Amino acid sequence: MAAVPALQLEEVTRSFGRLQAVDGVSLRVEAGERRAIIGPNGAGKTTLFNLITGELPLTRGRIFLFAQELTHLPVEARIAQGLGRTYQVTNLFPQLTVEQNLLLAALGLTRTKFRMLAGLPRSGPVREQVERLLAEVRLEYARQRPARELSHGEQRQLEVAMALASRPRVLLLDEPAAGLSAAERVMMGSLIRALPRDLTVVFIEHDMDLALGLADRVTCLHYGQIIAEDTPDRIRTNAQVQRVYLGVG
Amino acid sequence: MQRHPMTRLALAAATWLLVQGLLLATAGVARAEQRPAAAGEPIRIGVLVPLSGIGAAAGKDATDGWNLWWQRHGRTVAGREIQSFIEDTAGNPDLGLSKARLLVEQRQVHMLVGTVFASVGLAVATYVEQVGIPTFYPIAAADDLTQRHRVPNLMRIAGWSSSQVTHPFGEWVATTTPCRRLVTLAADYAFGHEAVGGFVNTFTDVGGQVLEQIWHPIAETDFSPYLARLAATRPDCVFAMPVGAPIIRFIQAWHDLGLWGRIPLYVGEVVTDQAILRGIDPPDLVVGLISAGHWAEGRDDATTQEFVRLYEDAYRILPSYYAAAMYTAAQWLTRAITAANGRVEDRQAFLQTVRATQLQETPFGPARLDDYNHPIFNVYIREVVKRPDGRAWNVVRHTIPNVSQFYKYDPEAYLRQPVYSRQYQGINWP
Amino acid sequence: MRTAWTWASVAVLGTLGMFAPLYLPAFYLRLLTESLIYAMFAMSIDLLAGYAGLVTLGHAGIFGISAYLVGYLTARLGLPMHVTFPCGVLGAVGASLLFGIMAVRTSGVYFLLITMAQGMIVWGLAFRWTSVTGSENGIRGILRPDALATQQAYYYVILGAFVLVAFLLVRLVRSPFGLSLLGLRENEARLRALGYSVWLHRLLAFLVSGCFAGIAGAFYAFHNNFVSPDAVHFVLSGQGLLMVILGGAGTLVGPVVGAGVFIFLRNVVSLYTDRWPMVLGALFVLTVLLAPQGLVGLARQLLRRWPAGAEPAPVGSTLPYGVVSPQPLDGRNNPAPHQPTNHPGKRRR
Ligand SMILES: Nc1ncnc2c1ncn2[C@@H]1O[C@H](COP(=O)(O)OP(=O)(O)O)[C@@H](O)[C@H]1O
Ligand SMILES: [Mg+2]
Repeated sequence: MAAVPALQLEEVTRSFGRLQAVDGVSLRVEAGERRAIIGPNGAGKTTLFNLITGELPLTRGRIFLFAQELTHLPVEARIAQGLGRTYQVTNLFPQLTVEQNLLLAALGLTRTKFRMLAGLPRSGPVREQVERLLAEVRLEYARQRPARELSHGEQRQLEVAMALASRPRVLLLDEPAAGLSAAERVMMGSLIRALPRDLTVVFIEHDMDLALGLADRVTCLHYGQIIAEDTPDRIRTNAQVQRVYLGVG
Repeated sequence: MQRHPMTRLALAAATWLLVQGLLLATAGVARAEQRPAAAGEPIRIGVLVPLSGIGAAAGKDATDGWNLWWQRHGRTVAGREIQSFIEDTAGNPDLGLSKARLLVEQRQVHMLVGTVFASVGLAVATYVEQVGIPTFYPIAAADDLTQRHRVPNLMRIAGWSSSQVTHPFGEWVATTTPCRRLVTLAADYAFGHEAVGGFVNTFTDVGGQVLEQIWHPIAETDFSPYLARLAATRPDCVFAMPVGAPIIRFIQAWHDLGLWGRIPLYVGEVVTDQAILRGIDPPDLVVGLISAGHWAEGRDDATTQEFVRLYEDAYRILPSYYAAAMYTAAQWLTRAITAANGRVEDRQAFLQTVRATQLQETPFGPARLDDYNHPIFNVYIREVVKRPDGRAWNVVRHTIPNVSQFYKYDPEAYLRQPVYSRQYQGINWP
Repeated sequence: MRTAWTWASVAVLGTLGMFAPLYLPAFYLRLLTESLIYAMFAMSIDLLAGYAGLVTLGHAGIFGISAYLVGYLTARLGLPMHVTFPCGVLGAVGASLLFGIMAVRTSGVYFLLITMAQGMIVWGLAFRWTSVTGSENGIRGILRPDALATQQAYYYVILGAFVLVAFLLVRLVRSPFGLSLLGLRENEARLRALGYSVWLHRLLAFLVSGCFAGIAGAFYAFHNNFVSPDAVHFVLSGQGLLMVILGGAGTLVGPVVGAGVFIFLRNVVSLYTDRWPMVLGALFVLTVLLAPQGLVGLARQLLRRWPAGAEPAPVGSTLPYGVVSPQPLDGRNNPAPHQPTNHPGKRRR
């Protein structure tokens, strides 16, 4: 255990009333790793992400990002520590343009966001970042369109770009391919594959093939608990995982 | 982000052009209405009253009283026609001030009369002081309008001040009733502070003792906690002055808690004014209530009853003090304009004439101004009585003649004290 | 083309504004002055309600604190305007800080109710603290220095102040901070997940807005030479919001137009009918029903249709709690997606 893990969870638990949505999850993701989290609907995957970013408070457990404890920090402070995420249900600024959405994301961790009398950045790192991401997710043509007017696929791409805009060290993607057409799925896959190797990516994916194709390791969640964690190949043949997937449909 | 940032400025420009165009158009209309001021021309009187908003009812009474005088006594005085320009203030100082300026600058009125709310009156006062136009306030009662902040060209003809009526009242209660230990209960704002201050000041001068002073929010809905507290202090009597809509709730609570007939209750003039009495059903709730006022619609006097009858014939209700004050102000001005031979353009001379005008017979009784532009008149100890027609009104039980706003105090010494407030109630003065 | 037209309008407007004292009678010059003061007040409300999505019903409290401070220091203590004016504005900022700290952790209806309660507290103080505020009698005799005593001189001061305030606000809403306000309005949870401290940004918005409300309040005191509890009353807070909605929330021109229309209706329509509040009410209802983006939004739609023809009108949306929402910063529709991509840097202005 020489290297510091990028993300480490210790006995992370969250209950909603009597329901243990996430139940004693311990997880260790190495720096640069691609980790897929799979599991049937309602397994607690999204809840787990919300616990990591702080959007939901923990019932129990601890969370570390590069050995820095996040457990008691508010959302914005965790983001500032190097977390970025997307949402399962598209979560944008619907009336703002694509460019404004990205600018907001890129400004989030800078001091520039407090500037009251300066115009929006026309050059410099923030602007370059926005332009780079626009190019990367191929949304340059739509920069002036309100986010709500984008197609679903475009919105998913914008989500990813926004999560990347603050240059996170750990990226959490919640079902990035949900609701996408086959072609869009391929595009999303290559987008994720093209992410820099030093970026740690944890992604939730319902689609086994996509998940197993992208991941270094896979964690399978069921009723809030980890039932398996292994390499994609071995997960594919894991009896328990198969039972869970067949059982739930 | 802005592809065409200037578009919005352009829109602004267009809209302002429109607004200014409208302003100009109306300005043109207003200008066309202006006439050169000259003798023989009509005398224009600007009247400021609330015709919308919460003061609308009072404003209607005031307007009715004003119009009634001119209808009954003719609109020609000293050979000149009297024109009234009645403008709505909505009880709002901004609007009152705007309207005052409109009347003076556009309509070129020779004098201003009115304002119901003290706030509007005070807002207008600074302006009229600057332009020097003769201004008359028959209703607004704020003490300082004719005391610490008096304005030379502002006269309270047929008007009154908050503490003027309660000064003699406090002394009367202390000296003619067995009440020695008093609790006061009043709306927590300037009018309440001043009226109660007047009562308490004289009450304590002649040996009375104030056990407690309770102030309630002006729009109080539930008086029972106050009344329970008040009863617990076991006073000999209570002086109370809620204002407006809470009055009826106060009366009801006083009955409900069984205080009626148990603790003698004295109330401020506005509590049993016709503006309120009209709405009390059944009137028996207030029959027997004692108050002091400069106005008493049930006063057994020919002039008063002539006015009450005229008013009743015209409007089917008994006149409130708003109506009486505006009617009497019109009477006062008629006398003064006659005495000045219609020369209202000479403001100083006209103001002098108004100041010198003494009226022996008005609905209020005899009236004249003191050296501070404030009327000296009778204060009536009034009792609410049910008339044969079933309506309640205030009849006079006792008259205290020729009361000045300073009562029996030396004006100079009095004015060295601050105006009555929660903090200063004149208890240790003089 | 459009720019030329715009500059022409600005020139005409500027000229009209500059020379207003020459052609407007004193009464109407006063109304214009008043409109500009209320326009500043309404813009300060719009910054919170229209841009940041924080619908406040207590802004008259902040406006009035400044007016009262100026009134007290000027009329009671006899201090000069160049001392009392900044004191008033500082007082407003201080009050905003206090009120903001209490209010910014809430949102929606709760924010509305808290700000309303704050306004009522200020009103209660103004109304009941007779020895300082004069209660309903107010503070009168708040005189301007001799140089500004005339309506004309004061008009130019207000005009200058208005231009400056409008300029600062235009800069503000186009700044990164302004963008974050839109983010607050659109999706505050998302903004938080981008690393923004939502409460800090709200507090800053509250402070900036309070500062401008304070400037308007101080000018108001010198405009009327008088201040009374009406200047802090809940009704004024509501009227400020009404001006914003009437003109168009989330635009800076909207509140200015709204204030102008409001003052005009109140003062001029009331000359002809006592029912002017109904006229105002009807106009308001019609605006909300037919032009949910305010008069400015309506004008924009008409303008867009007229020369260009077929561009679709933008879809309006509604802020929570019935307050009509603005368009995003850039209200117009954008070129079709398949248009050739210009170079990014050149595209924007
Ligand atoms: N805010 C919440 N309140 C109550 N129950 C919740 C809440 N969020 C999620 N749950 C429940 O927790 C369980 C896990 O949900 P979720 O994490 O969304 O599952 P997944 O993302 O794996 O499909 C589900 O049963 C869901 O109904
Ligand atoms: Mg999920």
